[in-house]
Amino acid sequence: MNFIERYLAAAAGLQEVCVGQDIRCRVDLAMSHDVTAPIAIQQFEQIGIDRVFDPQKVVLVIDHIFPAATVQARTAHWIMKEFARKYGVTLYSKGEGVCHQLLSERHRLQPGQILVGADSHTCTAGGYGVIGIPVGSTELAAAMATGTIDLEVPPVVEVYLTGALQGYAAGKDIVLHLIRHFGVDGLTDKAVVFTGPGIACLPLEERMTICNMGIEMGAMIACFGSESKADQVAETVELPLEKIAPVAACPPSPANVKPVAELGDIAVSQVVIGSCTNGRLNDVAKAVAVLRRHPVHPDVNCLIIPASKIVLDEMETRGWCKILRDAGAVVTNPGCGPCFGAHQGLGAEQDVIVSTTNRNFPGRMGHRSAGIYLTSPATAAATAVRGKITEPGALLAEEGH
Amino acid sequence: MEPIKGRIWVFGDNIDTDQILPGYAMAEAAANLGRFAMAGSKMPDFSSQVKPGDIIVAGKNFGGGSSREQAPVALRAAGVSLVIAPSFARIFRRNSINIGLPVLLADIREHVKTGDWIEVDLAAGTIRTADKVLAGQPLAPTVLATVQAGGLINRVRQELGITD
Repeated sequence: MNFIERYLAAAAGLQEVCVGQDIRCRVDLAMSHDVTAPIAIQQFEQIGIDRVFDPQKVVLVIDHIFPAATVQARTAHWIMKEFARKYGVTLYSKGEGVCHQLLSERHRLQPGQILVGADSHTCTAGGYGVIGIPVGSTELAAAMATGTIDLEVPPVVEVYLTGALQGYAAGKDIVLHLIRHFGVDGLTDKAVVFTGPGIACLPLEERMTICNMGIEMGAMIACFGSESKADQVAETVELPLEKIAPVAACPPSPANVKPVAELGDIAVSQVVIGSCTNGRLNDVAKAVAVLRRHPVHPDVNCLIIPASKIVLDEMETRGWCKILRDAGAVVTNPGCGPCFGAHQGLGAEQDVIVSTTNRNFPGRMGHRSAGIYLTSPATAAATAVRGKITEPGALLAEEGH
Repeated sequence: MEPIKGRIWVFGDNIDTDQILPGYAMAEAAANLGRFAMAGSKMPDFSSQVKPGDIIVAGKNFGGGSSREQAPVALRAAGVSLVIAPSFARIFRRNSINIGLPVLLADIREHVKTGDWIEVDLAAGTIRTADKVLAGQPLAPTVLATVQAGGLINRVRQELGITD
């Protein structure tokens, strides 16, 4: 068995499992947020039981539309507050941050745990070796009631990382490269695991970024393993990290990936740095490194959205918020920001947006015609300064670095 | 299970959840979601033209992207009785089954056009057009059981022995 099969077998109480086998796994954490929780709660109430399987293991997060942009959004918050009070479950309701980041900061994630989350980016926890299963609201309701989830054991595709990242390339560039390779549905119903000596150059935050976008290849599970090769996998793809250069996913798909250096002049009107993909301290650091020396271009809105209150606190301690504001950027409250298309920086028809978020589908952040390019924080920050999509090395070369 | 008979609407590849239900409509009440079905697609007026029982025939990777269950709920609320595609995004496929909206794996686009009527037998996986019978993948027994129960919540109730 490979390590995914070992984790799943343990969670199902079985000695061994094989690909395609239908199993029922115990759930270690069940999570939902303000977009998916109201329906999950309604479905849970339909079941007709008076308790969740374990209140300590159910987490609700208000992060997608906070503070509320509409009356309906605020109503969703109330539904969650009442459910949390009635069943005694954990609720983050004051803008503490994005659900995936909060789970990592406050819930002691451990390899082999089964996390069921009503958000497609639940795979982010794979950075910790957690099996993060993204589900919809009804399946989450069933998990809250039973403490179990039914799964089929997936074939495992191994990405074996060698070497080390060079220059300004980051975890985001690795995963965009992989999405181009596999396509948006290349890993549907499969697990993707990351192994090899190359993972040593990737801190936990970068591993989270990589797993976060596993769903953008259709994967059921995205998960980091040990440095050594995994046993008995369906396929191994070797990726030498020194060959990774800064890239951008161009409209209209996360798989439409091109090297930034080959894009030519593309004028940009908004830059978004944040989200569960790239809103951590190491990501904001890239923006600070650039913006402390260069102001934001006059034609660009530059939005910085910390992934959590803990990230924002540290930004303030280090004096980064003032540096960013003085450069002409806006630092918002922690949360999802405009990633999900509900508030805090939507684009009009003529906008061109460079964002560190995870999706660039048409209309994702406002008007269908607003182009969205997905990049790493370093590329986004260099772009905010130049006002056109810019390879971070090019900006720094100009400075004589 | 009775065959599903309906008029079809043909869509292309990679119809993602933002096209099926745009982010701005997510906080709408479930009863209103039908009005926004496919509002982000190249056919934004779909909801005003679709009739109860109609069937969507699409290309590969239907439902990619978000875990938002409101997307299949919007299709069902608009009257869609079935979605047929050669492949579905995993979460969308499970969400649809869980809310009792059947999905069938089959690539029939070159045999049909928008406005045609078809009749579908989910257990057999067969699709009958005006002049031929096409083969899809029959629903797995557990999936069929969930669809027949009217969705996952009813199945959980059965398993927990809740009858009231």
